[in-house]
Amino acid sequence: MSRFAEFDFFQWATFVMALLSMTLGAGIVAYLFWEGGPFIWNQGSQFLLGLDWFPGEEYGAAPMIFGSTAVTILALVFSTPLALASAIYTSEFLDPRRRLTVKGIMEILAGVPGIVYGLLGVSLLSVWVRDVFNLIDGYTLLSASFLLAIMILPTIMTLSEDAIHSTPSEHRQAASGLGLSKMEVLFSVALPHATPGIAGAILLAIGRAMGETIAVMLVIGGLDRIPEPWFDVFSSGQSIASKLGREAAETLGFGEHWSALMALALILFFLVMFLTAFGNWLIKGFRK
Amino acid sequence: MTRIQKEKLFSGTLAFLTLFACSILAFILFAVFSRGLSALSWEFISSEATDFGSKGGILYQIFGTLLLMFASISICLPIALGTALYQTEYLKSSVWKKAFKIFMASLNGMPTIVLGLAGYLFFGKFLGIGVSWLTGALILAAMILPTAHAAILEAIETLPEHYQETSISLGLKPNQRILAVVIPHSVYGIVTGALLGLARAGGETAAIMFTATAFSGVSIPQSITEPVATLQTHILVLAQEATNPTALANAWGAASVLLGIVFFLILGAKAVRSRLSWEPEQ
Repeated sequence: MSRFAEFDFFQWATFVMALLSMTLGAGIVAYLFWEGGPFIWNQGSQFLLGLDWFPGEEYGAAPMIFGSTAVTILALVFSTPLALASAIYTSEFLDPRRRLTVKGIMEILAGVPGIVYGLLGVSLLSVWVRDVFNLIDGYTLLSASFLLAIMILPTIMTLSEDAIHSTPSEHRQAASGLGLSKMEVLFSVALPHATPGIAGAILLAIGRAMGETIAVMLVIGGLDRIPEPWFDVFSSGQSIASKLGREAAETLGFGEHWSALMALALILFFLVMFLTAFGNWLIKGFRK
Repeated sequence: MTRIQKEKLFSGTLAFLTLFACSILAFILFAVFSRGLSALSWEFISSEATDFGSKGGILYQIFGTLLLMFASISICLPIALGTALYQTEYLKSSVWKKAFKIFMASLNGMPTIVLGLAGYLFFGKFLGIGVSWLTGALILAAMILPTAHAAILEAIETLPEHYQETSISLGLKPNQRILAVVIPHSVYGIVTGALLGLARAGGETAAIMFTATAFSGVSIPQSITEPVATLQTHILVLAQEATNPTALANAWGAASVLLGIVFFLILGAKAVRSRLSWEPEQ
């Protein structure tokens, strides 16, 4: 017994480290609640549904919430078909070596820094969007969602590919033993099996898209307004994250304006956490 | 259309789309390097920026980015390793294990701009370090903690069970087990985690743009409370001057260097990880 009661340096050292990282995670969440929570509570629907944002006078978050939602949905519309097609092809039709090559390419694509996308967006994409659609300028919701579509492509592709690839080989063999072709095996066995994993991948990608700041901030136009009509993707907008990126420097830590920004951050955090948690649950639940 | 033809059409379409998806990377590389390489020269990377970055080089920006990367990984790695070891070697309660997962996930899901602002308030304001490279390094350390932690945890958890069984049957105490078995055999995971963490830290802009960096008039910081210049924020500022061709050329040059650094680290991580999976199972 005494042997196990000895002082174990590692136990204490690792415990301290573990405590540190727990406190870090918990501390930041607690801070957001402490700073942004009362603001949402006091202002309620005036904040969540308000259309105008004039620091010092009124704070309406609706344009930002709309902007984040709009660019994310559009990005998914552009990205998901491409990501799923390449996930299916990579998992079902490529030999192992090529499969790893494609996945490696996706991994590298996932590593491209947001600011590089931002630069590409400012100097190439927004110009193309302007010229192709004959607009006055190319800083639009559409440009932001194009950039986001590329940024979330690797997330959706890699995770869905994992999901499709992990279909048990007995199921595949049973299906091809019945004379089904590769495509039929895919649609009748692999895809149904992978559906929760694919859904999870898409949710994680939504979480990433909502939180992306720098690239979106550079091309979205920075206009706190819901476009008229609301589906006009060729107009400028603002997402929650780009709002934080643009305005936080003006007010670091002070007053009502800061509380309003932290309230936005809290909303963003909740959205992202919910999507991520649900997405992870879907991916894991199906692996079991 | 017969089944075979249908199948051919289907797989052909998919192949085309896959090729398209992969060519996006090629396009990005071409777009950045074809514009950046003309700006790149020894002079460009070895001289300081002048005229608010529209002329001159990016020496201090490279230094700042590297400083933030290495400072943040030095802070992060002990914490990530310690947390992973505590979780796997000491922690018994499954409730706490779950709690650890949830907290790591919430840190991972935290939008980086939010992390940067909250981190600034805590480190910069509350602890009084101000807008400085140390604040930035601490924030980045928190940001890459989940990345490094996940890679280390995976390496430890996938250790063959008989390693642990053998070490227990030899009567090794947990600390001896950590030193003799766990760390030596998960060293590839630790290296992978460190490299991926470095790559993430190097590519991050939103978390440091208000908290650690200054745009002009910055050289090598003389103390821990001074800001640095970084490649990321340099590109950010130059990108907004899209009408000035020399500024834009410098932005592409800086982007090429940044992309080069990040890709080098990611490829390194991939190489280390594949070395790990080649390790023969005994």
